[in-house]
Amino acid sequence: MADVNAPSFTPTAPPRFSFNRAKAAQWFIFLITAALMLAPALPILLQVFIDRPLYAEGWEFTFANLVELVSSEEIGRIAVTTGVFALFTVIIAEVVGIGAALLIGRTDMPGRKLMGDVLMWPLYLSHLIFALGWVVIYGPSGFFTQFIAQQAGGAPWNLYSIAGMAVVAGISQAPLAYLYCLYGAVRSVDSTLESAARTVGAGPLQVLRTVTLPLMVPSIVTSSALNLVIAVETLSIPLFLARPARIDTLSTFLYGEGISAAEPNHGLVAASSLLLMLLVGSTLFVQRLLLQNGHRYETVKGKGSRPMLLSLGKLRWPMAFFFGTLLFVTVVVPIAGIILRAFTSFLSPLVPLNKVMTLNNFQVLFGSESNLRAITNTVEIALISAALGTILAVAVALVVQRSNFRFGGTLEALAYSPRVVPGLIIGLGVFYAAVILPPMGWLRGNIGIIVVGYVMATLPLALGVVQPAIVQISRDLDRAARTVGADWVNAMRLIMIPLLKPALLGSFILLFVFHLKSYIIAIFLMAPGLEVMGVTMLSLWTNGDVGELAAFATLQIVMVAVLLILARVLFKVKIYD
Amino acid sequence: MTKLTLTNLTRQYGTAKAIDGINLTVEEGEFLTLLGPSGCGKSTTLSAIAGLDRPTEGSITFGDRILFDSKSDTYLPPEARGFGVVFQSYALWPHLSVEDNVGMSLKLRKIGAAERKKRIAEALELVELGPFAKRYPGELSGGQQQRVALARAIVFRPPLLLLDEPLSNLDAQLRQQARVWLKEIQRELGLTTIYVTHDQDEALAMSDRIVVMRKGKVVQLGTPEQIYAAPEHPFSATFIGNANRIEVNGGNTHASGECVVMLNDGQQVKAITPEPQLSQGQQILTVRTHKISCEPLPDATELAVNFGAESYLGNHYEQVAKVADTALRLTLDKPMPVGPGKIWLRHEDAIVFGPEQ
Repeated sequence: MADVNAPSFTPTAPPRFSFNRAKAAQWFIFLITAALMLAPALPILLQVFIDRPLYAEGWEFTFANLVELVSSEEIGRIAVTTGVFALFTVIIAEVVGIGAALLIGRTDMPGRKLMGDVLMWPLYLSHLIFALGWVVIYGPSGFFTQFIAQQAGGAPWNLYSIAGMAVVAGISQAPLAYLYCLYGAVRSVDSTLESAARTVGAGPLQVLRTVTLPLMVPSIVTSSALNLVIAVETLSIPLFLARPARIDTLSTFLYGEGISAAEPNHGLVAASSLLLMLLVGSTLFVQRLLLQNGHRYETVKGKGSRPMLLSLGKLRWPMAFFFGTLLFVTVVVPIAGIILRAFTSFLSPLVPLNKVMTLNNFQVLFGSESNLRAITNTVEIALISAALGTILAVAVALVVQRSNFRFGGTLEALAYSPRVVPGLIIGLGVFYAAVILPPMGWLRGNIGIIVVGYVMATLPLALGVVQPAIVQISRDLDRAARTVGADWVNAMRLIMIPLLKPALLGSFILLFVFHLKSYIIAIFLMAPGLEVMGVTMLSLWTNGDVGELAAFATLQIVMVAVLLILARVLFKVKIYD
Repeated sequence: MTKLTLTNLTRQYGTAKAIDGINLTVEEGEFLTLLGPSGCGKSTTLSAIAGLDRPTEGSITFGDRILFDSKSDTYLPPEARGFGVVFQSYALWPHLSVEDNVGMSLKLRKIGAAERKKRIAEALELVELGPFAKRYPGELSGGQQQRVALARAIVFRPPLLLLDEPLSNLDAQLRQQARVWLKEIQRELGLTTIYVTHDQDEALAMSDRIVVMRKGKVVQLGTPEQIYAAPEHPFSATFIGNANRIEVNGGNTHASGECVVMLNDGQQVKAITPEPQLSQGQQILTVRTHKISCEPLPDATELAVNFGAESYLGNHYEQVAKVADTALRLTLDKPMPVGPGKIWLRHEDAIVFGPEQ
């Protein structure tokens, strides 16, 4: 047997675990997620079928809300408006996004790298800021509109229309289409496929048309679905651009009925939320049908392969000029407009700039107690929500992907369910839940209630970062940990989580930026003392304090920019890359 | 004695059976190899023993411990079994240094830092990687990584070591050295070892016993000598030792031993069969390439063949000889001229099996 030189180590029994520790952890994650996802959804459903607000005494079951919803001519008109607006938004976003992905990802257009960066700006900023920028420059009394009107003797366009809304929303959603097409297809497509087409005699443009574009179809379908959802639920663009023209979309209707109205009609609000959820749900269902054989984890991540560049030839400079001008006019000018407006008392081509330059807007901004509270609240909420959201996402993803938990599929479906629930309604649901569910009652009146809404709303977003990262880690690594004596919890803690660090950091920063700019979820959850930046900005708009709002927007732009640059420099994390 | 016993073990994926009713006993201190082509179920069997995969039926016991039993719904997770596993991919944790990789099992067993350090050093010494303790897996060569994986699997002195094609990612020369070295360590520690491979040379060189597997079933179980010299199944004969396989016709036999079969062109071959009984009709004749002689031998069948192309393989030639529409492969010191010729088969080298079901 063992010879004298053999190592002297003696057998060691495997560590003993209470056998169900892993199961307990998995059930815990499941229950937390289920509670978080269902608690806000169920009260809305209940509200649909009762005759007075949930918090009122003595309610009775009724179908009156649904009847009112279906029979109301006004709601029918609003639904059609919403549909038309959303459709044109998607078309504009996709055309710009696909064009940009091909031009920037595949051609030798000069300045493509810079243009790619500029195109991303709207994604980092909220619709609220973007809509404000457009109003300031291209609105009926906007700087540029006035300038043209002065020369031509009449307003050249009307931004306060469905077309105007669709342009603003389309441009602000183009980055999403661009990212999906760029990483989902243009960059990751094996360039030998294209070379193969070249060898059988296809010219560069034919290759684009016959090989590259068909390969982009899944990315186009996915980004169209997401953009449609976002267009349906966006609030600030219709609120800024359509309300003045007395046009309503579902979201402005909900906002008006649920928040601004003196006596909110909760039954109707809940019923139209249901309508909105159905609209969104069926969009995503159609997307799933269309992509049944597509990849499971659609992500904005891709391989860094180096595709062959198509030469534009003589068109190089004209294309660059055209595309550069488009970006300058639609993205750079509106954002510059906000900043300019923040430092002036009044912005008009008729008045020389040096006469109106002022720091007054910022003095007003920082002079207000509630504004300062909104800033600190927002940072605090964003930090907590981003941390909790990342933790929940990684926990859910590990149970779904790396355990044999029996209800893993259900857990995944639950975790992705906020996709069909527009942010406004998540806020509403959390609000209802806090009213009627005793354990959530203690969240009322502190930032906890907003954190709950944020964590729920952004779970799919965080999973989108974490899940693909988990796929990259070989299963053998956690299996090996199990064989040396780690139970599931230890294998995840000691092996998976350390290896996932970059993804967790990326998820945290993404969520943080998202929460920083968010305004929609917290609308129904705001209370005195609970201000957040987004909602405060929305009420500044409603009150007509455009100067103060521009200052606030400038502050937010600076915060997001600093954060993204820090993330890039310090942690080498590039969001959406 | 701590024996590992698999009883009627089955793993079903949908309707496909990856392993199909395997019965196996592994003795203490034994080096047992699961040998077979890819998809034969050898790795699934290993995973089932390790606890990484849950079989659908049957049972696994180790000594008096029940690791898995489908009837009583018993299933011990891998961490409760405590077997050492070396993965084909090595599965070293890239964020941990070599010593932390090796020491993880001891940490999980709450062994004190001093003792842990000593044992890590011993294990690394054993795999000759003492000076590499502070390195990270990404900084090691393939051969070194493989040794770290082994150190990690044996440092907690498991009662059973499971190796899943651990040498398949090494180049040919390194693989030869690693084979000798691995066997030495196993013998030195007296570790019961189950080794999975598709490489017949590895299996023959290292094993105490070999389990030949095909399509989820055990085809033959025996010592390397038995498997090689006395195959009980045409698959063991052809998979191990590179034998020719010829479809023939034969008569009824009622005992193992001598028999006569007929090639498709009518030539008769004196042969032997390991099977207790053969029924008349189609049968399978297997002959190893180097057992075919081109010179007359006593007590051998003479066959007329047509010699074909040869290829030079350094220390020998391989040549094709056609007989009855079948191309036989021959291992020769000197190639024969192309065209009609003769070969001789000793009857003990011509082994006949019944048709495969």
